[in-house]
Amino acid sequence: MALTIVNQGSFQSTGVPVNIPVPSGADYFKVYNLTQMATTQATGRGVMFEWFGNPSFAVNSAVEWLKTNSTNGMNATVITTGGFNYITSFPQPEAAFVGTAITNATSAVASGFTSLPYNNGDSVVLYNTTGMAQIGGAAFTVSSVSSTGFTLLGLPAGTFAAPATAVTARRVSPFQPVLPEFMYVSAISQAAQAVVTVTQDPTNVIYVGQKLVFQIPASFGMVQLNNNNSPQSLPAVVTAVNAGAYQFTINVNTTGFTAFAWPASTASPTAPLFATVAPAGCSTQYNPQLQTYTGYNFNLQPFRSSYPLPLMNLQAGAQSPAGSNGDTIVWQCFKMEAPQYGAV
Amino acid sequence: MSTGITNIINMAPELPLQWSENLLSTPMFNLIHSFGCDLHFAEAHLGKTTRMSRYERLSTDGGQLDGSGIDPAPEVVLRTDIDATMEIYAKTIVTNEQITLYENDKVLTKFTALGGQWLREKEDLLMRDLYSSSVSYLNATGGVNGQQPSEISRADVNNIERILLGNDARTMLEVIEAENKFSTAPTRDAFIALASTDITPDLQNVQGVILKNAYPSQEGLRPEEYCSISRFRFFVSSKAAKTPGISQPSGNTVYTIPMYGLEAAAKIEQNSYTATVGYRPPWVVSSVAQNSQLYFKFAIARAITNQNWVSGLKVTQRL
Repeated sequence: MALTIVNQGSFQSTGVPVNIPVPSGADYFKVYNLTQMATTQATGRGVMFEWFGNPSFAVNSAVEWLKTNSTNGMNATVITTGGFNYITSFPQPEAAFVGTAITNATSAVASGFTSLPYNNGDSVVLYNTTGMAQIGGAAFTVSSVSSTGFTLLGLPAGTFAAPATAVTARRVSPFQPVLPEFMYVSAISQAAQAVVTVTQDPTNVIYVGQKLVFQIPASFGMVQLNNNNSPQSLPAVVTAVNAGAYQFTINVNTTGFTAFAWPASTASPTAPLFATVAPAGCSTQYNPQLQTYTGYNFNLQPFRSSYPLPLMNLQAGAQSPAGSNGDTIVWQCFKMEAPQYGAV
Repeated sequence: MSTGITNIINMAPELPLQWSENLLSTPMFNLIHSFGCDLHFAEAHLGKTTRMSRYERLSTDGGQLDGSGIDPAPEVVLRTDIDATMEIYAKTIVTNEQITLYENDKVLTKFTALGGQWLREKEDLLMRDLYSSSVSYLNATGGVNGQQPSEISRADVNNIERILLGNDARTMLEVIEAENKFSTAPTRDAFIALASTDITPDLQNVQGVILKNAYPSQEGLRPEEYCSISRFRFFVSSKAAKTPGISQPSGNTVYTIPMYGLEAAAKIEQNSYTATVGYRPPWVVSSVAQNSQLYFKFAIARAITNQNWVSGLKVTQRL
């Protein structure tokens, strides 16, 4: 058989991109949006999407079959954004987008971009952040995304001296190749149990009972949190996680510590960067009142690969293969047994 | 990566010319990322998660008995658990009979050797990814290229040594003692640093660098080793971790240099599942017995076992 379906499945869209592992690779990938197939919309929506491996489609491209406005008439077009990404090795930073500003507010907002293809929950690395050079090179999760900007929920920049007057963004993988991973620290409170803010969504990375080792350069102030300054060189332990605010609480009393603060932009490039936190195992504990264990989280605790590669990434949206929230999506992956003749 | 059956369409027979008696070399990158990590073994039939545990040292605070007869408060012993998930990786080559029929050399033998090389290379890259993902790094700032991070400098290397020593990390490589040879210099007992071949010009330019040829003794040195700087001996690979286009302000490539001592990381092998090279004959693979199959499999789990004993630098190029 020249072309074989090697895998098939379905999911209900939550309006965010979906990664589908394709262990045999893919030469042809097809998606049906069964929900939209059964209805019509004032603005016709995509109901079937195709991807071909040879000739290889550009990143984010797809053949989209979409309905005519308010009728079942079918149209076909090639889309170049919001389609498929066939990922065979860990993704490198994507093409750069240039913006004009980042506010020095909590939370910071980046703006002035053109035709941003980003989704809520994506990660970006920012650089060329004129006036806010101290954040250049760090990774951030973006939210409230539009075609011209996004919010950096993990960057409380209200204490920064000035806004950035330029910024360049590249989308990167939301996770490192291996989890749990190191994270960039953007704030630490001075409290009996310190609250740590990180620049990226800590979901699937930080968990209650996790031990962490901080690396805080002197340029960020709170060096007392560095492990070699603690009485027993003990890692901090996570006691609570507030993933929605990119925050978690640790069992360290930082009340008397030097305040955590980003270095001034003018100190770059000589000020040591960044403040980071890295996984250091876990501590298994039992709470007899709640009858709960911590440190037995076998989903998040072990060091493991973040992605099973290769995979097919389906972008989300009304005209994208992963659909909109609530859509039922069926996908099929095809693989040729023999290579193609006369490929272009 | 091209996939499918290897056949005479994508690998045409060599022309009927005289065939040289020796095959040319297959490129292989330096395998440096398993160097210095601890090797552990996972038992079979006990789940796919391996737990490694460490007892933390006791507090040295207090402890004096004042003669009142009151005992000191007992201390609760703390244990840190490090978990790692076993993962299995595989590669296969399906070969059409016309390849083995028409090719001059023994292709299945060569393909088997290629698979063996893949096993080692894949394992090396998986360990590289562990170091690049799960360790805290500091940007080099002692250079002069105007980037954040800058190129590597002596001050940056010394700072990492300070961090590791402050965390009671132990060196891994022994001293190479001085000898009465011109232009050589001894190296101290050292931590390990893993770097990209892209930054070797910058490594040569660091103050106080001792290139490998200037070690007093060459005995036992690995070909991957490049130089010694301060308390670190540097090993280089073309596949060491790097991220293109993210330095401040110019968007240059940023290179990651893990620097570590004893028991910083672990590689776990699976008992009853050693690395396997297998062969499925044509009558099994194909209904007309025309395609045979080679396959290569291995299992690995990996973990940072002591975050205090590993750190590193992010750097950019200057030279």
